[in-house]
Amino acid sequence: MRVNPNMVPNMLADLAQSQSALNTALQEVATGKSVSQPSDNPSASADMVQNSIETANVDQYTQNTSSALSMVQTADSSLSSVVTSLTQAISLGTEASNGTINASNLQAIATQVQGILSSVVSQANTDYEGVYLFGGTASTTAPYTASSSSASGYTYNGNNNSNSVAIGDDQSVQVNLPGSQVFSNSTTDVLGSLASLVSAIQSGSSSAIESATSSVSAALSYVDQQRVVYGNAETQLNSQETYLQNETVNLTSQQTSLIGIDEATAAETLSADETANSAALAAAAKVLPTTLLNYLSTPQ
Amino acid sequence: MPDVIAMGGLSTSLLIGVQALEVSQGALNATSNNIANANTAGYTREVPAISENAESVSGGVVTGGGVTLTGLQSVRDELLNLQIQQQTSSQSQADTTSTALSQVQTYFSTSGTDIETAFANFSSSLAALSSNPSSSSQQAGVISNGKNLAQAFNNTANGLTNVQSAMDEQVTQTVSQINTLSKQIAQLNSQLSQLTAAGQSGGTVEDQRDQLVQNLSQLTGISVTQSSNGEVITTGNGTPLVMGSQSFTLQTTTGSDGMQQVLDSSGNNVTSSIQGGTLGASITVRDQTIPSYLSQLNTLATQFASAFNAAQAKGYDSNGNTGQAFFSVPSSGTGAAAGLAVAITDPSQIAISSDGSAGSNGNVANLSAALTAALPSGKSPAQSFSDLVYQVGNDASNANTQSSAIAANLLQLTNQQSSVSGVSIDEETTNLIRYQTAYEAAARIVSTIQALSTVTLDMGASQSY
Repeated sequence: MRVNPNMVPNMLADLAQSQSALNTALQEVATGKSVSQPSDNPSASADMVQNSIETANVDQYTQNTSSALSMVQTADSSLSSVVTSLTQAISLGTEASNGTINASNLQAIATQVQGILSSVVSQANTDYEGVYLFGGTASTTAPYTASSSSASGYTYNGNNNSNSVAIGDDQSVQVNLPGSQVFSNSTTDVLGSLASLVSAIQSGSSSAIESATSSVSAALSYVDQQRVVYGNAETQLNSQETYLQNETVNLTSQQTSLIGIDEATAAETLSADETANSAALAAAAKVLPTTLLNYLSTPQ
Repeated sequence: MPDVIAMGGLSTSLLIGVQALEVSQGALNATSNNIANANTAGYTREVPAISENAESVSGGVVTGGGVTLTGLQSVRDELLNLQIQQQTSSQSQADTTSTALSQVQTYFSTSGTDIETAFANFSSSLAALSSNPSSSSQQAGVISNGKNLAQAFNNTANGLTNVQSAMDEQVTQTVSQINTLSKQIAQLNSQLSQLTAAGQSGGTVEDQRDQLVQNLSQLTGISVTQSSNGEVITTGNGTPLVMGSQSFTLQTTTGSDGMQQVLDSSGNNVTSSIQGGTLGASITVRDQTIPSYLSQLNTLATQFASAFNAAQAKGYDSNGNTGQAFFSVPSSGTGAAAGLAVAITDPSQIAISSDGSAGSNGNVANLSAALTAALPSGKSPAQSFSDLVYQVGNDASNANTQSSAIAANLLQLTNQQSSVSGVSIDEETTNLIRYQTAYEAAARIVSTIQALSTVTLDMGASQSY
């Protein structure tokens, strides 16, 4: 059989192939990605759509978790101060009820309890980065403002709802308790009981002071119970933080396995492709110019 | 009597010598022409057809009758040519598809302004809103990421439409190239039939025609047959292009969808039946591939916008009003992705609240769910888009694979063709030496006969002394 005398198309095809392999290898090493367009790996590209949306969400959930944690911790420490204040008020009430205190000292105690009331109110008006923590979902205005018409001297401006922050695709955590539940509940009214204690002390009636003190103490144990909500939220947020960290690692490693490269392999492929390309070029340079004419002596 | 035989023998030898000179000269011509056309596209090497003349018998002695150059023959394999034409059609079809799809897939690659990134950013800005619902910067972030998402849909749809228009443009151009080639082939056919009628070899004309037919096969799938009128070329579905010395013109006209339709010479619309080559690929990409992507993108845009607007309507904005539509989408459906836009302008119009108070984030969960819940299509927006990415990537990857597979096949066929018809410089150099030697020897015959004739004539002169 006659041999194909024209080696050029073959050579060109070989050169084009080794050049294209070299380009691919170079691009992989340079970008650190094995997939730079969908056709490089259609199913990996499709999976990456989910991965990148999930990655962005997990980043945001992580931020949400840490800001929810600060919010919950701030609220919890406010309630903890409230508990301290109430304990103080109870001991003042107990002191005032023993009947040996004179009127002017009673007034002084009443003023102290009044001071405790306003400090509790200021805790109830705690905000985290401008968001009031005890106003329900009406978190843009201070929950409690002074009002002469109210028995406790303060009126509640918030509502009875609460916000939940998204910390996972189907997971959210309640980050606030409305003031109407914590501080001015109709059965255990923290602010109301403190206000009654003030007026009972002012009146000097031991029995009134005793009954007022016992309702403050009921309010204290109620507030203590409410703190459980924040405690649970903290536990949930801490474990979610760990989960999200793991999730970030998982998503990153998924991304690497979908579109990443193994650097050692890629570098090796690059150098192998380089060698192949040089070999193809060298072969072309050696073979193409040679014909019988190179070996015939020039006619005399 | 012996004298006569001797004289006749010398002139016969002289005649044979002259014939040998002519044949060697003809063979040298063929060789030099082969060398000259070694790199001419479509050139088929020619070999001199040399045949022995009839021997003559004179007085019981058989003498050779010399040599004649009967012509120059082009060495070609018609079957290989046919296979090459078919593969050329497939190759240019795959190449055109691959080029178009590689343009399409840039809109589906992660670039920072693509739909995938925009979905991710929009989704995370909504989650951020959950943590700080009354922050105006977070609200503005949702609006701006929403706009980016709409813009990403617009860009992708427009990108697809641009590729579609480019394909449409290519249809017009390709049809006009096909017409030019058909005309030229018909002319060459007519030349060839005249040459054949005159008993001449039409090797060169045939080479030219084969080259043009191959160029034509690049433009569209063709079928080539031989009839009594000469070569007949039709498109794959039978629309005539060339019939012997007659060519048929294809026409283009704007169809109801604004795209160019291809009509045969009698005005029938043959657009959908054209396959193979640049034309076939352009039409398939323009009328099937891209419309399918666009329709999926439009469905996604429409369904996502309506799901998000429904979630928006479940809540209240920062002013305590029921949420208005966040996205606006053309109702016609066909321009949904290209026309998707954010309808609200003020960040306070995002329906974040579930109870009407400004600090509530209760509706954020509904808004976020619109991105993850199944749309009427049965898939979440991310899944629908990821399906589309897979489809585009897979189509592009198939076209690439096909293109390189056919290229390898075509190279193989071209090698075979070249091994039959290609000019080998080594071979021609060898032939050059052969024919040179033969020519020198033939010239020696002539000079020897001349010397002998002189001797014979001088013989008579010496007798007169």
